[in-house]
Amino acid sequence: MLTDLYTRRALIFAFANRDFATRYRSSILGWSWSLIQPLATLIIFAAVFSLVFRIKAPELGNGEGTSYAAFLFTGLVTWNLFSGLLTLSMTQLKSSGELLKKVQFPAWAPVLGASLVQMIQVLLELGVLVIMFLFLRNISWTWTLALPILVGMALFAQGVGLVLSIINARFGDVMYIVAVVLGALYFLTPVLYPITMVDGQNELLSWVVKLNPVSWYVEGMHDAMYSLVAPPALVVIGLLVGGFLTFWAGFAIFNRWSEDIGEML
Amino acid sequence: MTIQPVGTGLAVDIQQVGKRFKRHTDRRNSIKERLVRGRARKPEDFWAVRDVTLQIPKGSVYGLIGHNGSGKSTLLKMIGGIYRPTEGSITTDGRVAALIELGAGFHPDMTGRENINLNGSILGLPRKDIQAVTEEIVEFSGLGDFINDPVKHYSSGMYVRLGFSVAVHMKPDVLVVDEVLAVGDEEFQRKCFDHLYALRRSGRTIIVVSHGLGQLEALCDEIAWLEHGELQTAGAPTGTIAAYLKRVNSDEAARNPQIEAVRDDDGDPRAGDQSIRVRSARIVDLEGQPIGHAETGTTFQISLQITAREPVLGPNVRIALQHESGPLVTMVSNHRVETDFGIVEGDHTIDVALVDNPLLPGRYRVHVDVFDFSGSKLLDSWNDAVEFPVRSQSGEIGQGFVQLPVEFRLS
Repeated sequence: MLTDLYTRRALIFAFANRDFATRYRSSILGWSWSLIQPLATLIIFAAVFSLVFRIKAPELGNGEGTSYAAFLFTGLVTWNLFSGLLTLSMTQLKSSGELLKKVQFPAWAPVLGASLVQMIQVLLELGVLVIMFLFLRNISWTWTLALPILVGMALFAQGVGLVLSIINARFGDVMYIVAVVLGALYFLTPVLYPITMVDGQNELLSWVVKLNPVSWYVEGMHDAMYSLVAPPALVVIGLLVGGFLTFWAGFAIFNRWSEDIGEML
Repeated sequence: MTIQPVGTGLAVDIQQVGKRFKRHTDRRNSIKERLVRGRARKPEDFWAVRDVTLQIPKGSVYGLIGHNGSGKSTLLKMIGGIYRPTEGSITTDGRVAALIELGAGFHPDMTGRENINLNGSILGLPRKDIQAVTEEIVEFSGLGDFINDPVKHYSSGMYVRLGFSVAVHMKPDVLVVDEVLAVGDEEFQRKCFDHLYALRRSGRTIIVVSHGLGQLEALCDEIAWLEHGELQTAGAPTGTIAAYLKRVNSDEAARNPQIEAVRDDDGDPRAGDQSIRVRSARIVDLEGQPIGHAETGTTFQISLQITAREPVLGPNVRIALQHESGPLVTMVSNHRVETDFGIVEGDHTIDVALVDNPLLPGRYRVHVDVFDFSGSKLLDSWNDAVEFPVRSQSGEIGQGFVQLPVEFRLS
């Protein structure tokens, strides 16, 4: 079943190519927007949370102080990957509806194609993050662990995204529910604050933050990129395999439920 | 029912296929409705296609005809893999490309060339094969330099031309075409047909839905007729189309039993001295029974009821037939065929038989003028006395207004 992904790779790339070519085509700044947007968010959030709420970031891995902006951006890159794939999967399937009624092709192809483009966006953000850390001289071999963690995050998000997109094709409410849940989950994930801050707080709240799978990926990234601590190998493998299994399950569910997609949309 | 050519297999084998749709009248489409009102009432089922068995031989052109809503498009979509059959099975040999809509999947912001790539991939062609036919597609579409412009700047004609060109160059084993044959101008249409014939010659199968019966008769090897989702008959084009038209005609007659081409005198003042007045005009068959329409090639009669107030010697009755688009098709009169009615007085019926009706399908208006024996004095003039349609049994529409009794000889 997963071999279908390989045999129809040309189709996935064709959709990715379409989305890549047309994403910013009518704008003057083009792909610059893919960096302006997250950087603007970063500046606003960094200003608000470090100056107004006075949240302290943990010590940098190189032992030379702290940087809330770098800490925040590490989490933001990971979070954007998760929420971006989730949201995009739903809108992409919906907007492919007209085409799916007229031509027979696997419905996951446009979804995965759009996700590939979103991953390019994340790679650009990651590039900025790397430049930030180079500037801070916060460098270590542990950076390489970011790759399996991010791949795991992408697979996990895509697995969930595939299931949500097919439910959303049937019940249009799902998109709005997900938007609300994502809004809440954002604050229940240690992006804006270090996870140690929830210790000793409300018991339930602290549990939710720690059981939230996105937190695990974000924490993995904080360790590897910011604190320069290698998470245990088992954790890294777990994040990768967990992501893969989620994707595999999501893909299977999507295939099962999308058999009559031509009539659903 | 189907004739299977010896030595070739089937391109599509349709076995007792049915497709059921749920009516969307009371669909619980949002979660709130599901929660608040519970599961939907058992939805009304509706079979768009039921128990259809068809064998479409390889390398043939197969037509599907039927009314709107007869299930043709649903069947096509099942052959194309867009819908799954609710029951039965469809086996296709080779890659199927369905042209349900031309240019489906074009992205407005991408150029024609980029869209060829995308569309080719969607239709399932490997990248290198797409590259191999790209120039051919550009050439065929006749778009020239416009191929490098975004398709949003295309005219609708350019858009469908590119769409058709892409689809037919994807070299599918089975090409499914839904009502998209009438694209582009005359020149491009001819190119399309030439290309379809070339595809057939290269052993590919074409399944086509169209309401252009004349077109289908010329193009298809076999035609299947669907009605209310059920197969009525399948086989040679001429016979199937004739059966279909017969049903269409009788359905229309059954729906509008009152519509007979009959008109009675409404007492309006007319030109002429009215010593003879035409009281009614009707279109009747050979037995004198009123009919709603005439058929090309079948004798029918124009029947006039007249009343002569005083004895009139040898009146000349002229009947002019005018086509709905304006032109006078012909004028006939009893003097022209040297029929003398003698002295006419009182009520009479004049039947004018149009032997082997040469009129081609269309609507015709009948004007009646009655002159005295000399042809100089007008007695009655009834414009638009009656109007009647002419239909064709064969589906052949023809060119012009009449089919002349001609013979061709080669020496």
